Amino acid sequence: MKKFSTFYIALILLFLFAPIAVLIVFSFNAGASTSTMTGFSFKWYLELFRNSEILGALKNSLILAVSSSLIATVLGTAAAFGIHHMRNKHLRRSLMTATNIPMMNPEIITGISLMFLFVFVGGMLGLKTKLNFWTMLIAHVTFNLPYVILNVLPKFKQMDKSLPEAALDLGCTPMQSFFKVQLPAILPGVLTGLTMAFTMSLDDFVISYFTSGIDFQTLPVLIYSMTKKNVKPTIYALSTIIFVIILVMLLLSNLEKNSDERIRAKKAKEEKKRQEAILRAQKRRRQGKLQEEQPVSLLARKRRKPSFYLKLVAVICACSIAISVFVAIGLYGEKTLTLNVYNWGEYISDGSEGTLDTNQEFERYCEEVLGKKVRVNYVTYTSNEDLYAKLSTGAVSYDVVIPSDYMIARLASEELLEELDFSNIPNYETCIPEDFRGLYYDPDNKYSVPYTYGMVGIIYNANVVDEADTGNWDLMWNEKYSKQILQFNNPRDAFGTAFYKLGLDVNTTDTSVWDRGLEELKKQRPLLKKLVMDEVYNMMESGEAAIAAYYAGDYLTMVDNQAENVDLQFYYPERTNLFVDAMCIPKGAQNKELAEIYINFMLSEEVAIANAEYICYASPNSLVFNSETYKEDMGEEAYEILYPSEFDFAASYDQNCYKDLDKATKEYYNKKWEELRTAS
Amino acid sequence: MTKAKQVKKSNRSLLQRYAAAPHVVWSVLFVIAPLIFVAYYAFTDGDGGFTLSNVTEFFTPTYLKIFFRSLKLAFIATLICLLLGYPIAYFISRCKPKTQRALILLLMLPMWMNFLIRTYAIMVLIQDTGIINSFLGNFGIEPIHILGTETAVIIGMVYDYLPYMILPIYSVMTKLDYRLVEAAADLGCNGFQVLRKVIFPLSLSGVISGVTMVLVPSISTFYISQKLGGIDMLMIGDVIEQQYTASNYNMTASLSLILMLILLVGLAIVNRYSDSDGGGMMP
Repeated sequence: MKKFSTFYIALILLFLFAPIAVLIVFSFNAGASTSTMTGFSFKWYLELFRNSEILGALKNSLILAVSSSLIATVLGTAAAFGIHHMRNKHLRRSLMTATNIPMMNPEIITGISLMFLFVFVGGMLGLKTKLNFWTMLIAHVTFNLPYVILNVLPKFKQMDKSLPEAALDLGCTPMQSFFKVQLPAILPGVLTGLTMAFTMSLDDFVISYFTSGIDFQTLPVLIYSMTKKNVKPTIYALSTIIFVIILVMLLLSNLEKNSDERIRAKKAKEEKKRQEAILRAQKRRRQGKLQEEQPVSLLARKRRKPSFYLKLVAVICACSIAISVFVAIGLYGEKTLTLNVYNWGEYISDGSEGTLDTNQEFERYCEEVLGKKVRVNYVTYTSNEDLYAKLSTGAVSYDVVIPSDYMIARLASEELLEELDFSNIPNYETCIPEDFRGLYYDPDNKYSVPYTYGMVGIIYNANVVDEADTGNWDLMWNEKYSKQILQFNNPRDAFGTAFYKLGLDVNTTDTSVWDRGLEELKKQRPLLKKLVMDEVYNMMESGEAAIAAYYAGDYLTMVDNQAENVDLQFYYPERTNLFVDAMCIPKGAQNKELAEIYINFMLSEEVAIANAEYICYASPNSLVFNSETYKEDMGEEAYEILYPSEFDFAASYDQNCYKDLDKATKEYYNKKWEELRTAS
Repeated sequence: MTKAKQVKKSNRSLLQRYAAAPHVVWSVLFVIAPLIFVAYYAFTDGDGGFTLSNVTEFFTPTYLKIFFRSLKLAFIATLICLLLGYPIAYFISRCKPKTQRALILLLMLPMWMNFLIRTYAIMVLIQDTGIINSFLGNFGIEPIHILGTETAVIIGMVYDYLPYMILPIYSVMTKLDYRLVEAAADLGCNGFQVLRKVIFPLSLSGVISGVTMVLVPSISTFYISQKLGGIDMLMIGDVIEQQYTASNYNMTASLSLILMLILLVGLAIVNRYSDSDGGGMMP
């Protein structure tokens, strides 16, 4: 039995720690993959300390966790005190029910309900930014409160009722009685509550996801957008560090408790010795020996060391004070302008792996050339629809956004974009060629400056797929490769593949055409491995899947990271999707002029090349695609893929891009998509 | 006695009377009011007019199927957590105090890590070209296809939420009077009978609290099913999140409202069988 239980416990622990072991091992990977190990290195740890996005988010998480857990602890302890003394049973019970709601409710509902409240009230007050640090703070205090109350309340119940009364009888004021008598008695509960609140807040993703604004992104929310894209071992490195810190803290606390126990055992022993000594003395006395003998002198009582919890609290308090000072200096110390940039993940050169950190460059440019202190607050989103959700509710205010073409058309038609003042963007005239002006989404060149463009092609693993089967869209419907094919996980792109295959218009408003697309997708469905967006990288690089339609630029990234036994190849089918992503300024931007300067800066040669090389998408900037160094850096093959020589962009764009469709059509295809996804 | 009580009553200070007031205000503003907004959005259309269509939409086959799938997966995951977690809670409670503390710390350690990353690491472990399968491949065993199946989602849930099952059960087990077990054994119960008639009933409150703490997050998860599930593995949390990103707030609200009502009713029934101080998660 004993053996079995040991074995069983070991097995469960193995199960719980295997994934953690995986991420620790891969944090030392020499390559960028999180699934194939290519060698040992510390480079992701170096990368981590250079990554201002992750470190910023970590700082935000700590600020939020410290402040929300402290507020919740104060409020919650007071509440527990009040509830404990409440005489009215009904009030007490209904208050307990209300207290329990955030704990019992699924997090997603707590998050959504708070989001509704903030957006509604913010709208009524006419606030520009409805979700920000304060809304997150409120949300976190709200879900932390029950944990504090439920930890403190039992301590009040366990406490000897006569203690506070005695204190009052002896002349304490109620305040004194609380702080001198009751608080020490409930302290362990308060501290457990505080620690729990702190951890819950630090680790919370769901509620933060729904209540976070742009100017305050916490680590879990950042990680979520990262795991949608290509996860880099940097985040594993961070997790490993956190793991080690926590492990050390827990071990210390355990040692502390053990030493406490040892002290107690020692004391018990001493007590026993004393008793024995007294007994001996009495015996001797009885035997008539008269000389006074002192009982064996006791070891001087050692002062108890402050407990682990007290130390922890001290550390947390110190940190919080340090952070608040830091924040206060950041807020009021200097007049710093903040430029909020909202972009796709991994869509700007960020200084990793020796690249140019363009945002930092811009900050330097502002300080040196314009004499202004500017901080670029760079936040990422994962889809055009995400962006739209944030913009249309007015939940947050951005200065620069980089949506795709059809979303620009939609935002423009709903008057959610500012007209650009091109006198602040002189680079536009010199470096954006005629081909990229006056495109359908912005016919009068009022709202946008193109950032990247590209085409969808088909990526396949040549070790699995027969060369003869390639060349057109049929590959994605080929039964030979059943369960090895990946399809887009969004209706527009998925229907698009079917329409291009069938030679139909991708921008049709005719529902019967959409039905034909649906039929085609239904045929393909049994052959699919998964619907993916950014997971495509991992699945193609590791050879997990063999065929996927995706963007040419992303293919180049995948080839760099492919596993040894994978040989990724790429081709454009005859008809395929073209897109342009462009920089815009949304309505309500707080620093419009600065945003225009930023856009202009992004067009300058060095910066634009750094971005193009980092993102790997084709650039509409003539300073980039005509640059010899750029061509050299990319390599001939990659350059040919991104800028096919016999290809007329302007002619094919208008036919093959996705346009913004009317509401009825959108609703129709969304419904069909839901039908396709849920059918089994 | 009555006199004493009266004295006590008159002694209730202002502090005792109003200490809970901030919490009452907070609860009304940030717990009750938001739920009213959920109800408001659930019963209105985009222009603010009253409608029932968001709610009736839920009772169409599409959504019902998704809802029952969520229920099914969450129940299976909870059951597995209980079957795995109950024995381990018992075993740990029978260890020496020092070992107990060390083991509980080990169990809690993963909970301190970000669950998004842990789930992602599971994906890396179980995918067709993942570590488990390449290990098996060394012995010439065909890769086991797990990622993208319901099994994968259940594994993810069990992995993420198992500690939430073990801790409350363990915390009840440590308070269990072991003399009762010995007495039952002396009186002729066999091992199984002791478990069924003595240990289990005494640990029921821990079990209920554990079940709640696993079931609720499992039903409403969207990250686990997104990462580990397959094409047709939509869960109710996914749909809520999708409707939210598609800016369809009214449908988001109605789905949330219905999910919440069903869970609250369920939990209220379960809680009748346990004492009111559930939630003792910390040992």
